[in-house]
Amino acid sequence: MEYPRQITVIQATIVIFSSVIGVGVLALPHIVVTMGDTGSPFVTFLGMCIAFIGLAFLTLLGMRFPNDSIVHYSEKLIGKWLASIGSITIISFYAILTALTSREFGEVVITAVLRETPLEVTVIVMLLIASLASRNGITVFTYIHHFYFPFILFPALLIVVLSLKNANILYLQPIFGNTQENMLQGTLTVAALFQGYFIFTLVIPHMRRPERAMIASIFGTLLSGGLYILIVIASLSVFGPEELKVLLWPTLELAKMTSLPGQILERLDAAFLAIWVTAVFTTLLSTYTLTIHLLSKLFRLRDHKMLSFFLLPLVFVLAMLPKNILHMYEVIEIVGRLGLLITVVYPLLLFVIALVRKKRGDVNVKKNKEQTS
Amino acid sequence: MSKKIRSKPLKVVCIFIIVLPFLSGCWDRIEIEERATVLAIGIDKTEIEEEEEEMVTHLKDDSAKEKYGDYKVTVQIAVPGRLPLGPGTGMGGGGDERPVWILESKGHTMSDAITNLQQEISSRIFLGHLRIIVVSEEVAREGLREIGDYLRRNSEVRRAAWLIVSKEDASKYVKAQPELERVAAIYLLATMDQAVRLGKLPNNFIGTFWSTLSSKGQDPYLPYVELKKEDNIKISGLAYFKNDQMVGATTPIQIGHFMGIMQMNPGGYKVLVTVPDVNETVVFESVQRKSKLRIDIKDGIPHARVQVYIEGDITESSNDYKITTTKVIEQLEDVLPKDANVRYSKLVKETQEAGSDIFGFGEYVRAKHPTYWNTQVKTRERWNELYKEMPVDINVTYNFRRIGMKAR
Amino acid sequence: MLNQRWKKYEKKETKKLQQTIPNVDLEKHKNDKLSGNLEDTIAFIKKYLGENDDFYIHHFRVFGKFQAAIIFLSSLVDKRTINLEVLKPLMYIPQHLEGKTIEQDQVNEILLNDILYNSQGILEDHLADLIDVLLFGRTVVLIEGINEAITIETLQVDKRSIEQPPTDQVIRGPRDGFIESLQTNLALIRFRLHSPDFRVKITTTGKESKVKVGICYIKGIAHPDLVKEVNDRISAIEIDAVLDVGYLEQLIEDHHFSPFPQIANTERPDKVVAQMLEGRVCILIDGSPFALIVPAVFTQFYQSTEDYSERFLMGTLVRIIRLVALLFALVFTSLYVSIISFNPELIPTDFAVAVAGGRAGVPFPTVIEVLIMEISMEVLREATIRLPQQVGGALSIVGVLVIGQAAVSAGFVSPITVVVIALTTIGSFATPAYNAAIALRMLRFPLVILAGIFGLYGVMVGLILIINHMLSLKSFGVPYMAPIVPGNFEGMKDTLIRAPLWWMPKRPSFFHSDNKTRLSKDSLSKIKEPPSNTLDPMKVGNERWDDTDGISSTNNSDPSDDRHI
Repeated sequence: MEYPRQITVIQATIVIFSSVIGVGVLALPHIVVTMGDTGSPFVTFLGMCIAFIGLAFLTLLGMRFPNDSIVHYSEKLIGKWLASIGSITIISFYAILTALTSREFGEVVITAVLRETPLEVTVIVMLLIASLASRNGITVFTYIHHFYFPFILFPALLIVVLSLKNANILYLQPIFGNTQENMLQGTLTVAALFQGYFIFTLVIPHMRRPERAMIASIFGTLLSGGLYILIVIASLSVFGPEELKVLLWPTLELAKMTSLPGQILERLDAAFLAIWVTAVFTTLLSTYTLTIHLLSKLFRLRDHKMLSFFLLPLVFVLAMLPKNILHMYEVIEIVGRLGLLITVVYPLLLFVIALVRKKRGDVNVKKNKEQTS
Repeated sequence: MSKKIRSKPLKVVCIFIIVLPFLSGCWDRIEIEERATVLAIGIDKTEIEEEEEEMVTHLKDDSAKEKYGDYKVTVQIAVPGRLPLGPGTGMGGGGDERPVWILESKGHTMSDAITNLQQEISSRIFLGHLRIIVVSEEVAREGLREIGDYLRRNSEVRRAAWLIVSKEDASKYVKAQPELERVAAIYLLATMDQAVRLGKLPNNFIGTFWSTLSSKGQDPYLPYVELKKEDNIKISGLAYFKNDQMVGATTPIQIGHFMGIMQMNPGGYKVLVTVPDVNETVVFESVQRKSKLRIDIKDGIPHARVQVYIEGDITESSNDYKITTTKVIEQLEDVLPKDANVRYSKLVKETQEAGSDIFGFGEYVRAKHPTYWNTQVKTRERWNELYKEMPVDINVTYNFRRIGMKAR
Repeated sequence: MLNQRWKKYEKKETKKLQQTIPNVDLEKHKNDKLSGNLEDTIAFIKKYLGENDDFYIHHFRVFGKFQAAIIFLSSLVDKRTINLEVLKPLMYIPQHLEGKTIEQDQVNEILLNDILYNSQGILEDHLADLIDVLLFGRTVVLIEGINEAITIETLQVDKRSIEQPPTDQVIRGPRDGFIESLQTNLALIRFRLHSPDFRVKITTTGKESKVKVGICYIKGIAHPDLVKEVNDRISAIEIDAVLDVGYLEQLIEDHHFSPFPQIANTERPDKVVAQMLEGRVCILIDGSPFALIVPAVFTQFYQSTEDYSERFLMGTLVRIIRLVALLFALVFTSLYVSIISFNPELIPTDFAVAVAGGRAGVPFPTVIEVLIMEISMEVLREATIRLPQQVGGALSIVGVLVIGQAAVSAGFVSPITVVVIALTTIGSFATPAYNAAIALRMLRFPLVILAGIFGLYGVMVGLILIINHMLSLKSFGVPYMAPIVPGNFEGMKDTLIRAPLWWMPKRPSFFHSDNKTRLSKDSLSKIKEPPSNTLDPMKVGNERWDDTDGISSTNNSDPSDDRHI
């Protein structure tokens, strides 16, 4: 359907980065600090490592089977029925993740900026643009991520840099936190925020040189994890751990506090939120594309386009399920942690099985068109 | 099976047509002239009589209101059109009309008061441009947590707004009509900002207030102002808090001491000192401040040592005292710190008596000595206790760099 | 059941389409050849062209003996040429043939080789083709008894003179532009490109119009597949008339429903030559002064030849200004609407209150006000295009200022809105390519509406939709947003900035041409040497300094130093 093998390593890195960085950034400092206190940068770092383990195994699997998607090679490894269960779990997890991401962002927009707009509208708008964009093939998908990359990176860095003048180093110490009890929980929750990386399994079959996929994984994780850590450090140093336990969206508050020199524009949070729509859009695009591509492969459909609108009402209903904002955050936490089983443990198991059964994909048949779209 | 609609755009258009009616409302569109932009708020304590009960948020006999105190809220609303940007054009009836509109309302809580206010006004109250909130001392002494709660949950309020404590009634401030600016709120704001730039006041807005309020090892402080004649506002010190209740105020020059200990730049206070042995007076202005803080735990009690370095210029000296050589300056540098140490320590003692650690020593302990903190302290109340007894050594060093345009 | 009905409907539709092509009558005679009979041939030609009053037949005798007729359409031909170069020599036997007998079957050959003074004479023996060539301005000479006709090129149509193209004006650069005649246009191109690799393929298109289409490219630089694709697409067109090259554009482009143009057009020959040298293919047509350039990417729509004629610093600055104006024109109004109606906390307090004051008497919400003003500006703009030159200039300025001022005084709009709209309108003129400018102007409206519904969030959603659309466009396979996406460093030296000419030694890679370099390394190194200061006042007339192979001279190559090594 599509000219295979056009994605470079840099583009793959960017895909990972923008799929991971999304709406989670807004609430990240609050979530982490509630569990990690002043040791949150360290906790974030640990979370990044765990996420990287999952991504590494996924990449290794992808490099081993450079022409198949996870649906196919899991079938080869553990048999059709088990693999179908695994794939269906992945698909439903990512559908739920799409729903929750759009819901969370809708809540943020409505609470912080557009107070009268009904939640349904913001959620539908986000889901619509994601599903419209997901009808394209993988190459255009990569172009989209590539294009929006600077729009995500620079505002985040700008906010971090501009807020440093209000920073207070004391808030960052002690480095490992005053209380260590919840650090493990915090690590898991942070790792759950990286789950967008699963899209990489769709990208590897289209990379120009799949053997270099690991480099993309490493840099992608470093970039996104690094940004997370920077934001946590910035919020922590400006607000202090106790205040962060009170503020629901510290990153937004950070944006509220910065003002461009010369006071041209004050209160930048509305502008920041608007720009952040691109980050959330890229994340939504990734998870949604993942869902429909894997689904179309599972059912051996010719292409994925019709699924893009077909699944939309389902995802929308899922997004509307949580009753209120606190309930939503509880659900996100639970789903995120369970998801770690799927995104970290499952690839690990598959890889071990692949090693044991000594299975490999068709490395030489590079022009294998039917299974690579 | 599926009926194929031929063209792809047609499919997309169909989806849009189906979804569009749901999206066609403009829910949040409030035109700028429909908003009542509140520039300043003043909060006072008051008693609400039976007859005055507005019953907008509750019924007369509801017991919920007993939990809260009573507030009188005065707001300053900008009137569209009366604040011309350029040189005042002829239209608008001349300078008699005030560019702002002052309103008062009473309520049991902040939210209650604002709701009562909204009942009376035609436009929607918009707090996005709220720059300054004046709280009377009475209210501050009772506790600012409730007020803070309302303002925090409201997403329009900016964390960069000023929160100041006033000696008299806050409503007087909001009603003030000063000469220098057209709008009182801007005047208040400008006073605060200018003071920060001159180095006379720490850059402390409502955001930092809340941050320090939340942190366990530090108590918050706010600018403390007084109203002078002709509606001028004078900054008369810092109000320091224990938890969220005000427990005392410093004098203006003590702000300088405070900023010295906290290493807040630029420096700006001019200090009039008598030079011992010579009985002359000298005024110097601090330009830069640096400080080093060390807290050690000895015998289970933290000991604090503060080293303050102040760089300054000499701005005035009395008639006979000639500053001719370096030796004279060095002499000054030797002699004056003794005085300073006493004064600084006095400030610290005052706050210690009140149990209000505005310097943040507690945060320092929590950060650098976490084990001690985790075992001995853990809570804010315990730290306030410890702080009262904590010995603090202050050592001030002066460096005078310049003496102005005069040669001696 | 429904399926069957649909299939029947489809069949009917396609049948209807097949019958549109005219000239079926002439098609029947496609293979008829001339008989030797003069009268028959004339009757055949008269049947199709006789009703025209500009149709001339002149009977005469060749060499005084053979009956002949000369036929032409007087409006198309140069009568002087016919008289002097065709009739005159035909009527007299030339000197070297005097006295010899000329047989009838030799006549045509002698005429072409010895007699006629025309270099474009062809022998024609199909009847239907005679009609064709007459319509193209050729003259037909028929001789009794000969079953071939001689057709001679005598076309003359008045052309306008070459002048500066009105759609693509530059301050510095060539001022000639294409005109309607394909021959002249090709001449202008060849004038700049004397390379033997430059190829022109001429085909015709349009069943009724039968205009000539020239496909130009540089062999070895343009990718052969691209040329083939262009050829295929053009020959696949079956339409009755192609009146302007824009028709061709619409029929060969990839995405018909996109607001963005995927094919560029220009009136300037120097631009055409530059584009061909990058690997593009150019299409010219008789009857239109515009040339199509294929494939096109978005970045070339805000570039102009002036960027390259001027020095690179100037070119860069001007290009950045243009890009800012372009973005401005697209989003400024929607940003204005969203900030005023949804988020006034973004602007400084004084300003916010003043704006509120300006809006105090206006009856409409900002969105409606802005839309009304925008629509009026568009109407004004359309009107000024049609007005004659003298009136048009005055009206645009008067229109904007006076009407705007009057509207403000009437309390109809607020003054700030007028300023914003004026700025955006002026900004939209900065885009050199008219088709791209229209696209952006159109896209402004949905953005304003979205801004009115959702505020800044709506503007972002609208921008995301537009950008996604642009990212999925391809022009003949080249991604529309190349070289930004997919990233190509060489290409990026020419997008936002205009890198100096010697920094861009390679052609853009997304055309995949076989010939990759355009600037050689030698000239690169020559430019990097220090200048030779020939007329330096201290040492006029001294010889040039040589390369010192890396060993610096005692004064470190300081040219103004007195000492000579």
